[in-house]
Amino acid sequence: MKPDSTVTPPPQKTDAAPKQWQGLDEYVGSAEFLEAVQNEFPEGAAEFTDEVSRRRFVGLMGASVALATGAGCYLRPAPPRKILPYTTQPDEITPGVALYFASAAPLSGYGAGVLVRSNEGRPTKIEGNPSHPSSLGGTDAFTQASILDMYDPDRSRGVTHRGLASSPEEAVAAARKLLYDEKGEPRKNVRLRLLTETVTSPTLAAQLTKLLGDFPDAKWAQHDPATSESVREGTTKAFGKPLSVTYDFSKADVVLSLDADFIGSGPGSARYSRDFGDRRKIRKHGKTAADIHGGKKDAHAGHDHDHDHDHKEGVQPDMLNRLYVVEAMPSCTGSVADHRLALPTSLVESFARALAVELGVAGPGSAPLSDEAKAWIKPLADDLKAKAGKSIVVAGPQQPGSLHALVAAINAKLGNAGKTVFYSAAIEVRPAGKVIDLKTLTKEMGDRLVDALFIFNVNAAYSAPVDVPFGENIKNVGFTFHLGTHQDETAVKCQWHVNESHYLETWGDIRGHDGTVTLQQPIIAPLYNGKSAIELIAGITAAAVRDGYELVRNYWKNGDEARKTFPELAKIDANGFEVFWQQAVREGVIAGTASPADSTALGNWSADSPSAPTTVPALGGDFEINFRPDTTLYDGRFANNGWLQELPKPVTKLTWDNAIFMSDATAKKLGLDPTYFRWTGGEHGRAQVDVLEITYRGRKIKAPVWVLPNHADGSITVHLGYGRERAGRVSSTPGEPNAEGKAVRGFDAYSLRTSDALWFAIGGKEAGKNDLSITKVPKKVYYLACTQGQTSMTQKDLFINHEWDRKPVRHGDLALYSKDPSFAKIPPMAARETAEINENVPAPSHSHDEHEHEPHDTRLKSLTMYYDNDKFKRFTPGLAEDQQRRWAMAIDLNACTGCSACVVACQSENNIPVVGKDQVTKGRAMHWISIDRYYEGAPGSANLKTLFQPRMCVQCENAPCEIVCPVGATVHSADGLNDMTYNRCVGTRYCSNNCPYKVRRFNFLTFADFDTNTLKLGRNPDVSVRSRGVMEKCTFCVQRIRGAEIVAEREARKIKDGEILTACQSACPSGAIVFGDLNEDHSAVARWKNEPTNYGLLAELNTRPRLTHLAIVRNPNPAMPNTPKGV
Amino acid sequence: MPQIFPKALNPIARTIILCLPIVAASTGVGLAAFYRSSYATGIHETPPQPVAFSHAHHVGQLGIDCRYCHTSVESSGFANVPATKTCMNCHQQIWQGADLLEPVRNSYKTNTPIEWNRVYNLPHYAYFNHSIHVAKGVGCASCHGRLDQQNLTTQHPTLLMEWCINCHREPEKHLRPKSEITSMLYTPSAPNAEGKPAVWKRSDFANFGKLPDGKDEPLLGTERPTNQKELGLVLKDKYKVRDAVTMTNCSMCHR
Repeated sequence: MKPDSTVTPPPQKTDAAPKQWQGLDEYVGSAEFLEAVQNEFPEGAAEFTDEVSRRRFVGLMGASVALATGAGCYLRPAPPRKILPYTTQPDEITPGVALYFASAAPLSGYGAGVLVRSNEGRPTKIEGNPSHPSSLGGTDAFTQASILDMYDPDRSRGVTHRGLASSPEEAVAAARKLLYDEKGEPRKNVRLRLLTETVTSPTLAAQLTKLLGDFPDAKWAQHDPATSESVREGTTKAFGKPLSVTYDFSKADVVLSLDADFIGSGPGSARYSRDFGDRRKIRKHGKTAADIHGGKKDAHAGHDHDHDHDHKEGVQPDMLNRLYVVEAMPSCTGSVADHRLALPTSLVESFARALAVELGVAGPGSAPLSDEAKAWIKPLADDLKAKAGKSIVVAGPQQPGSLHALVAAINAKLGNAGKTVFYSAAIEVRPAGKVIDLKTLTKEMGDRLVDALFIFNVNAAYSAPVDVPFGENIKNVGFTFHLGTHQDETAVKCQWHVNESHYLETWGDIRGHDGTVTLQQPIIAPLYNGKSAIELIAGITAAAVRDGYELVRNYWKNGDEARKTFPELAKIDANGFEVFWQQAVREGVIAGTASPADSTALGNWSADSPSAPTTVPALGGDFEINFRPDTTLYDGRFANNGWLQELPKPVTKLTWDNAIFMSDATAKKLGLDPTYFRWTGGEHGRAQVDVLEITYRGRKIKAPVWVLPNHADGSITVHLGYGRERAGRVSSTPGEPNAEGKAVRGFDAYSLRTSDALWFAIGGKEAGKNDLSITKVPKKVYYLACTQGQTSMTQKDLFINHEWDRKPVRHGDLALYSKDPSFAKIPPMAARETAEINENVPAPSHSHDEHEHEPHDTRLKSLTMYYDNDKFKRFTPGLAEDQQRRWAMAIDLNACTGCSACVVACQSENNIPVVGKDQVTKGRAMHWISIDRYYEGAPGSANLKTLFQPRMCVQCENAPCEIVCPVGATVHSADGLNDMTYNRCVGTRYCSNNCPYKVRRFNFLTFADFDTNTLKLGRNPDVSVRSRGVMEKCTFCVQRIRGAEIVAEREARKIKDGEILTACQSACPSGAIVFGDLNEDHSAVARWKNEPTNYGLLAELNTRPRLTHLAIVRNPNPAMPNTPKGV
Repeated sequence: MPQIFPKALNPIARTIILCLPIVAASTGVGLAAFYRSSYATGIHETPPQPVAFSHAHHVGQLGIDCRYCHTSVESSGFANVPATKTCMNCHQQIWQGADLLEPVRNSYKTNTPIEWNRVYNLPHYAYFNHSIHVAKGVGCASCHGRLDQQNLTTQHPTLLMEWCINCHREPEKHLRPKSEITSMLYTPSAPNAEGKPAVWKRSDFANFGKLPDGKDEPLLGTERPTNQKELGLVLKDKYKVRDAVTMTNCSMCHR
């Protein structure tokens, strides 16, 4: 069947469909909310409410009058400038043409393959490396933002010794003097301790291993506060040795996540996101069961001869995957699940045991479960059994090792091992007998058993569990040496600090989630002459070569040594090395370095004594507290990264702060009114919330509370990474104290976290339990900056005083899709009109135009100010056929996971400024993309749906903004872009007022930083840096379009489909965004828009959006409890 | 209450009121005139340079092609100012001791760039791209004037937006065959080196005159039109120069 998108489907009953809402205040329809959404700009956004800035403004006014009248003013459009050519131009550089270099962005020891854009030697943008298995072209938000870390003006700029400036030579000499005698022989009796995060780098590992070999008393501590030992423990238990686990979500029909946010965090999440997302894109010509699982071609595939199945995108409707998630704190993964069970983290293992029993896995004892959870077990087990060998059960890193072992047994029982779940040799380097944990190290330090401590970019003084007083014990070590990018909490306690080079400044190697090695190459010379870890160690050990390049090269040149770790690495002779090296550096991956598969059978393992609790944390007295790495600041290392601080957190949409998250039922139990918060000042931005005091094991902390409708009851979650005192100017907040009164962003959850319960603990007031209580701090409020609901599209019809429910995110389940694939076409508010039209006007004859992509009913005649030639196929009939382009974008909401990588990518590409918490609360955040998070259903109900929708300028063909601009600063281009000309904008803001999508952003103040030199280096030279008083918005990355156009026109050819990737599209790990030319036959965007689920957001306003969305189609299991029958 | 002003002042007040629109209008005209004046646009200005480099000598007298030094003009938006090394290619051999070249030798020795003063200084929000103009048949001299007659480089046009737009609206008035792009002496009617009427060459066309179907461009070897009007239209068609609507889109130059 070829669904014809121009034919209006029969009207549907939509009255019963629940309303979509963004916040609890919207759900209850509070008066504050209804008033706030009526204003285009939040109250106060346009005013100088702040006394200081008003005074400053008057001062500036005076200054500008002086400038305009007095001397020193330059009246020409451009100030005089110099041209500084090279003295000798490097061969590969053509000034003005960007180059791309492959590298890998490290996070907790694992690397994600990237391509770094370099403009005349300045890294300006990070893209995913399509050849790298951990990326496949996508990136996460951390990787995108890591470039800003390099330009961080607060980076450490030199070597210090006891706080005084020193030099790298002196530092190395001091370390060398301690470790080696005059002859250069190691002083064997030195009790040396190394502290690193997880290490996968083969070069660094070889160096460290050698160092440990030279000093018999040396030990190596690894500390990574945001990662866990569970996988190691679990695989050791199940297989007798630590293994690394990878998954192939592209082959999984059913996925069960036990508290695992595999889409949103952890190494390989970008890859998993892509694999998972591909199984969520419903396509008419998508992959069939035969394409995915092999075997004979079935009947569905018969009519599709054009595409090789490798090149097919998406899946046939019957191959849509199904995701079950059991978790406490809503994550990206949980939000896109078909079935989500909100269960306290401590009960997840009990749940898994019950499931294992149902599946017939031998051994695990049972544990009590709530009725709601019990109802899940049977249908879930049936579904998993039905898809044996085609399913995945994945356990989260915050769960204990015993659960990971159990999950290994379940996957083995289901026959998934080797098909969808893969075990391979562990990737992290841990020489046997030499590795200790931070707690042991701290104890040794306290007992003065350590002579020398070398810390390699680990901020343990901040991130150690509170019962491990690492920071206080640094002074008990005779010699302390710190290598790091910042003078952070740990650096200031050490005697020596050497500034570390950023990964974009140095040579190195690192392994991806599957073990594949990437050679990291410097894109720029170290800004502050920093040293990398390998260079520093080479210096201290007086190695023959000390240059980063030579060190990495030497490791790989010595193929026999490398093959001990990488048995599949191809043998090359000496002459072939240069080819190998160049290829490896260029491609960003070394072939044959993926961790070799390990087929060790499941050991004689039985689920021993349950480590899971036997009591259910109920609303009674017991609570569970969860510690999680922050979704934007990670373990705190990104605390000084403005992009990540201001990035709305994927699910909660908070910026600049962390909070105590809990469900509304829990809040009620604690005596908080779930609609307790008030928006003051700015619309939605400034949320006034209560402050709670958590007492946990005798330690107290004050923090703001945020009610999250689908958090597990009886459980609270706090995020690590905030409250850093020495992160830099972004994290320090003089004049903006946190809930505890300290001048830092957020609260420090590490100050509650203990080493025996790193991730979660249950406590209550009764004796014999962990002391855990939560009380409201009376009469104290805190303001959180939350972007959810800012720039809301909600609109009240002024004539009938009725708030339209526009159903911005349209969704259905597979049953609805099979019945009516184009269910998303008709907005609920137009259903009645549609019925009338269907009644009175005959439906147009069935169009057989494959390339008809109008998301509109052709019987509805557009009223347009623009001349309507050939249904907008072109604005310029004068152009040659192959020069007529209709740029368009489609976003598959079913694949979008809300991860927010696109938001940071857009910020990086388009020089979008960071405005700060105070400005966010006024509704002045500048992100061009906002990822709206809607809920549908009642808060706390099992059917509460979380829906994500990226919203940016949709480039309306009938753009309402254009007709109201008095100066013609926003006009249409021939290829259908809604151009925004910054230099013509005078800042009337009429356009934004008239924009129904609310995607225009106004520079109320000079948000762009024109003063900080390092930040200037990182800007995209192809995009203007906007100053105060200018409106801006998404341009579909017009600089990339024009750039590609120029290249194609120069070469007298057409632009190929996929040649232009917008920043968001390129970053999107799940591949949910596609961009291209609608005039191009079979372009990806044309194919997507021809899908029946394609719909135009607010298309009923006749704006004719060029950006359309593909509706969400979930795949609930009818046998599950709470599955709604029909929609 | 007595009047403050005597009645005799009434005509003066009337005159002032009557003159107000004139004052306003003349202020506007004055500002517009100032904006377009040579002072504000910098037209015909010749900024001082650290090295007294003469295009008249190198181009006019020696006949060095523009692209010998400005190598990136065909591949990049920015037509590079040559690296010191490019100067030294020749000046290691000739005029090694000339005082005029002292800054060049110094730059080469100390590996510090020569700080040239920008002559064609566009505002930061205008994204001009050399390569596409050269590829579509806009000659160097069309914007930069007769460099073979300039000693120190002079700003030839106003660089006002209207100057750009005029050509974007009617490119046919300025296009020339690609083989003549860097020529300083080109006119549509100028005969070729042998004094015969100029003919179409392979280098005038994309892919050296090979059409996508493998055949030769039919115009090859035939005489070129000798008036700009006719020639321009042929070139606009052959070079697929886009129409005025497209070429005056804001995002063509501003982003």
